[in-house]
Amino acid sequence: MSRLACVLVEGFAAAALERCEPALRERPLAAVLGAPPATRVVEANARGRAEGIRPGLSDAEAVVRCPTLVRRPVSAEAEAAAHHALLDACLAVSPRIEDVAPGCVHVDLAGLTRLFGDDETLARRLRRQARVVGLEARVGIAATRAAAGVAARVGPGLHVIAPGGERAALAAVPLAALEWPEGVSATFRRWGLATLGDLAALPRDEVGARLGKSGLAAHDLACGIDRGPFRPWSQPPSWEEAQGLDWEIVTLPALMPVLERILERLCARLAAAHMAVDALDLRLALASGGHQARTMALAAPLTEAAPLVALLALELERQPPEAAITGVSVSARVLPRRAALAQLWHPPPPAPRDLAAVLARLALLVGGANVGAPIVLDSHRPDAYSLAPFDPTEPNGLADSTDEPATGTAATEQDERIAGPLVLRRLRPPRPVTVETHEGRPAWLHGLSNDRAEVVTCAGPWRASGQWWDTDPWARDEWDIALADGTLWRLAHDRITKSWHLDALYD
Amino acid sequence: MLLDRLLRQGAITEVIGSLSSGRTSLLTHCLREATRRGGAVALIDADHVFDPVSAAAAGVDLRRLLWVRCEGRRQDALKAADLLARCPGFAVVALDVGDSPPRLSVAAAFRLRLAARRSGVALVVVGSRRIVGGAAALSVRTRRERLAWAGRGNTPRRLAGMCTGLQLVRKQGAPSSGVLERVWWTV
Repeated sequence: MSRLACVLVEGFAAAALERCEPALRERPLAAVLGAPPATRVVEANARGRAEGIRPGLSDAEAVVRCPTLVRRPVSAEAEAAAHHALLDACLAVSPRIEDVAPGCVHVDLAGLTRLFGDDETLARRLRRQARVVGLEARVGIAATRAAAGVAARVGPGLHVIAPGGERAALAAVPLAALEWPEGVSATFRRWGLATLGDLAALPRDEVGARLGKSGLAAHDLACGIDRGPFRPWSQPPSWEEAQGLDWEIVTLPALMPVLERILERLCARLAAAHMAVDALDLRLALASGGHQARTMALAAPLTEAAPLVALLALELERQPPEAAITGVSVSARVLPRRAALAQLWHPPPPAPRDLAAVLARLALLVGGANVGAPIVLDSHRPDAYSLAPFDPTEPNGLADSTDEPATGTAATEQDERIAGPLVLRRLRPPRPVTVETHEGRPAWLHGLSNDRAEVVTCAGPWRASGQWWDTDPWARDEWDIALADGTLWRLAHDRITKSWHLDALYD
Repeated sequence: MLLDRLLRQGAITEVIGSLSSGRTSLLTHCLREATRRGGAVALIDADHVFDPVSAAAAGVDLRRLLWVRCEGRRQDALKAADLLARCPGFAVVALDVGDSPPRLSVAAAFRLRLAARRSGVALVVVGSRRIVGGAAALSVRTRRERLAWAGRGNTPRRLAGMCTGLQLVRKQGAPSSGVLERVWWTV
């Protein structure tokens, strides 16, 4: 037996505006459309409706009815973002949902009773999830989508119709409580119909013959029957939140609260879907008519709004917008959230929030190309390495190794032990020197700090070459040399350019 | 272990020594041990001299190493050290200031120590002379004691190793003299 829920947000245009400005919840609000004097009310919030504000009222009439009424123009961006937020909230409860209309979602509850509890519990959970993303929803649960939709629209905020009782529950619902297409409601009144029960009692074919498709749909609704298939909705690849501005923002400090609100809404949606932000795309609409877009790849996936705001602030500080800002849109590329700890017995890595902020500041300080985790390249060319993004949460391949590094035969005394390999300090770029040789071996060095340095001991040469089949061949002889001043160097002779240079210092 | 004797969470350790004395090998040893235990480490490289190839050969897990190259800008290196010392979660933060260490005021040094103490980071400063002064919990001088060459006579075949003596310069609450240990670095 199927169980379906309808999650409905009343006055959706006003609710979307409330979501962008939560302070408006405490005041009567009307979403209006059109230029004065033709401005009309589209939707009103609960307080506005309580003051008698109805869709279709003129702006002047609405103000006369409620002098404290706040009017805001309808925002398509806010509505789209709110609708996506509602879909995400429902998806956090059930993997099978249907996008019906702005502010209305059908949720398939099959199989969820064993996971979450009975229908009442599921209804409360759906309502709570909607509240998390900033929307106040009504929830109706029934065996069919039509009955669930009617249950959500009439009666209390949470309305569960028991299995098998759909027709009886709908029979008492007055026709005036529902919205009908133009002309249909007038026909119903002319026919003397008052409730859905009256309509359901009429023969379906006769209603269809007189009212067409809208009549058939109305009859099905009255009977609580679904004719169309359930069309599941899946998550988009990127998640977007946007806000149009009634005013122009010129300074970055003024932009920050707007970004903060947008990112808080975005993060609430992602939290509901157990996702984390991997990269952010910021798009600013400018007063000059153009747009400015920038992409910010994060060092570590984040779930909290505060560090994202800080990172965007740093990014905007680095490259301020060229003109005043009239609209802001942020879209996120996401990853499934994962636990912070890579392995059980290892110390926790830096928190993603802290690490991302520190990496951004370091990139600002020394340049993004100078911060990262080194990678040794698969090449015999000396000093072959590159930098990769630093991610300490990756599984550690060496952590469980108990192998000691390669040991030599140099330790001779009891109190002396081998600690590890001797490492190099690279000279970048290698320092050119002039070398005097004696019997083919380096004997004197010119070009270091002192004029002439004696080579006390040297070992080599070690011959290496590569890329001889390509356009960038290299070939060299390497020597380990000890100078009279006590330093120990790696000296290289380039066999292609016939030049000598110091590559690195043993330290 | 040598790492436990040298480094302490929330404290500063200074390693000083001349060129080819083994100070970089000692630092790499600390990074290796910290990454082997699964910790994340950071290296602020003031002069861009760190060699990833020999570090990898020494056993450092490079995926857990954050390398910050300052290209000779020493003040930036100090700022980077300050930033990283304030970030909890790093097992070791190393600052390699090379052979021209910057001047660090007493106040700045103690601020650095306070940051490390709050975040629990073990901060290592490596250079040719002391810059942290009294803010360091431990100062160790590295001194090359001898070299080992493989092969006979005046034409050895290869460099085999180097012995470094670790001398205690300063330790909070302990006599500040004496040789800590002698260690061999192999090639």
